[in-house]
Amino acid sequence: MPVIELKNLTMRFGSIAAADNINLNVKSGEYVTILGPSGCGKTTIVRMIAGILEPTSGEVYIDGKLMNNVPIYERNIGYVFQNIALFPHLNVWNNATYSGRVKGRDRERATKIGNEALRLVKLLNQKALYPRELSGGSQQKTSLARALCSDTKLLLLDEPLSALDVVERMGLRRELRRLVKTLNLTAIHVTHDQEEAMSISDRVVVMKAGKIVEINTPQNLYNNPKKIFTANFVGESNFIEGIVSMVDGPNIVVEMNDGDILRLKSHGFTYGDAIVVSVRPENIVLEKGEDNRENTVVAVIHDIIFISSYIRYVLKTKGGDYLNVDVPITSNKRFNKDESVIVIFDPEKTCVYKKPEEGLPEVLKLE
Amino acid sequence: MAAIRLSNITKRYGSLTAVDDFTIDVKDGEYLTIIGPTGAGKTTILKIIAGLVEQDSGDVFIGGEPVNEYPPEKRSAVYFPQTYSLFPHFNVWENTTFAPRIQGVGEQEISTIGKEMLTMVRLWKRPDALPSELSGGMQQRCGLARALAANASVLLLDEPLRALDARLRIELRYELRKLVKDLNITAIHVTHDQEEAMSISDRIAVIKNGRLEQIDTPQKLFDIPKNPFVANFIGFSNFIEGVIVNKTDDLLTIKGTYDDTIMTNGEFNIGDKVVASIKIEYVVVDKQNEGGPNTFFGEIEDFTFLGKFTTLDVKLDNGRKIVSKLQSTIALSYSKGEKVRVKFPQEKLIAFEYPKFGLIKEVGV
Repeated sequence: MPVIELKNLTMRFGSIAAADNINLNVKSGEYVTILGPSGCGKTTIVRMIAGILEPTSGEVYIDGKLMNNVPIYERNIGYVFQNIALFPHLNVWNNATYSGRVKGRDRERATKIGNEALRLVKLLNQKALYPRELSGGSQQKTSLARALCSDTKLLLLDEPLSALDVVERMGLRRELRRLVKTLNLTAIHVTHDQEEAMSISDRVVVMKAGKIVEINTPQNLYNNPKKIFTANFVGESNFIEGIVSMVDGPNIVVEMNDGDILRLKSHGFTYGDAIVVSVRPENIVLEKGEDNRENTVVAVIHDIIFISSYIRYVLKTKGGDYLNVDVPITSNKRFNKDESVIVIFDPEKTCVYKKPEEGLPEVLKLE
Repeated sequence: MAAIRLSNITKRYGSLTAVDDFTIDVKDGEYLTIIGPTGAGKTTILKIIAGLVEQDSGDVFIGGEPVNEYPPEKRSAVYFPQTYSLFPHFNVWENTTFAPRIQGVGEQEISTIGKEMLTMVRLWKRPDALPSELSGGMQQRCGLARALAANASVLLLDEPLRALDARLRIELRYELRKLVKDLNITAIHVTHDQEEAMSISDRIAVIKNGRLEQIDTPQKLFDIPKNPFVANFIGFSNFIEGVIVNKTDDLLTIKGTYDDTIMTNGEFNIGDKVVASIKIEYVVVDKQNEGGPNTFFGEIEDFTFLGKFTTLDVKLDNGRKIVSKLQSTIALSYSKGEKVRVKFPQEKLIAFEYPKFGLIKEVGV
């Protein structure tokens, strides 16, 4: 079970820093996902770990050993790509055991490892099939088996599920985690899909524009994002700008742009601070009516969208802002279009951030 | 605006029937999504409406008018592919105003249309940018502006968001719906992503092997699927296979394959082989220990955190595995290995005739 350490790792392409001073420790046996929008540098990082790219500066350590000048084939890494790269003229068995034969293992041992790998990915009974005869999911399982056959303990997975259909993707992401955990592998998985990252990982590294934004467990990232970008990128959030108009012990009173007042936990902010309040759509409570109480805003139901597990109500506040509120379909609460509602904020489930100097839209930008 | 009617459309490629006797009515101004697995015939249907593919039989009507004989440019329906190719040497403004320009529209009107379209897709600050200087999402929005500037009354969207990042896709799907509704045009959108289909559509048509399985509003498809395929393609379901062993009026007693008994309503007879389904959201998990109808006990095997929701894998004492989807705040109060009670509310259990070729073949898992 390898340990990976990245120290001040930087990769420049001309004037662009694709990876900018990356520091990351991955524990032995850990499943870590690097999550970020297209072009944020996540693939660049796994390529530097694999030895496909030579970093401009900084170090890569695997099991405490400096890897910078170690060639790719001596790093003993299993690499799975987004574009499933199988040999079209080889069947499942020969594709899976390819690296074993290249590495000059004796036939008996290669057979044993090949059988074990195909058993693990549940493809033993399809080993005579050719890639074109397999579904996308089975093709990707074959490339996973090939990575496992190289006898590696370190798996680098670069968008391994992106090319698959939804149902296949859901199935394979379960399998991936199960494999990594039962075989005691260390895995670094790159994705742009937040739900995939949360469902599969021990920890998630959120990246933007070549830099690490935040590293945390899925639950902590979702429930207590430290950065505004995370609050928007990992799950959705409502953002409301305001000014701290009063400090009251551990609480602050926030006057929002449309004049409504919220009493929230202070989070260290003081009088006059320009702030952004963020709240998840499922953490807002709706009630029928129009009387304005503390920590409430009056709004009108503008649109209703049914999204299987929940109903999204798009609200328009009297200040003209839009808020998204999600109510689980198992709840008995139902609201109608154009109905007036009271929107209740829970200070325990509301995050407060300093208003970014470059402006909120700039920080939230997804591309 | 224009209503669309497809009447008994069939299209074969050699021995393969891509579209099989397909009939559908799309209302004026409606946002309809066609969803189905890869190879279901979704794209072929769009191309037949656009006039890019000719059907073997059946008729296409746009705005009440038969258009079978019309070339694509006369159909007022624009086909918008997954990756929309902009002219690489034209900037955003030139790309957007391309159609009115070749249609010979006057300079002043071109300027008005261009401004309106770019404002709508939020690119009015970037008229001079070349496609290569734009992000994927911006290119897609510019493509939309160009398609809409052609003054089409029907927009045919073929997986328009597929090439984009997952998070951006969520953002743009709401924008797309807003755009279509603001412009009062009719949209037919093809996707294989059920969440996208639900969040964007007035109605969804589920197709499989070129045939229409069911067409309805997102909520009705979810709550009242016509067959096990739809039950697992729109949302996810638990399936219980069994045989009807008793019947009082329309209350059925089903003996399941795990020697378990469940009760639900339906039009079946004693001895019929059935499969009952329940959406993972409707499975009730709690810590009570009182038994009853449709009530079982089991142990939590695994959790999967998805953000808003968490799924629980529960292994019932009879050996059956069940998935339940709970709000994450509620799932927090359970732990791995914990004994729980699992209930299937009778009104949420739907009994279907057992599929001819088996359940796995039918639901495609």
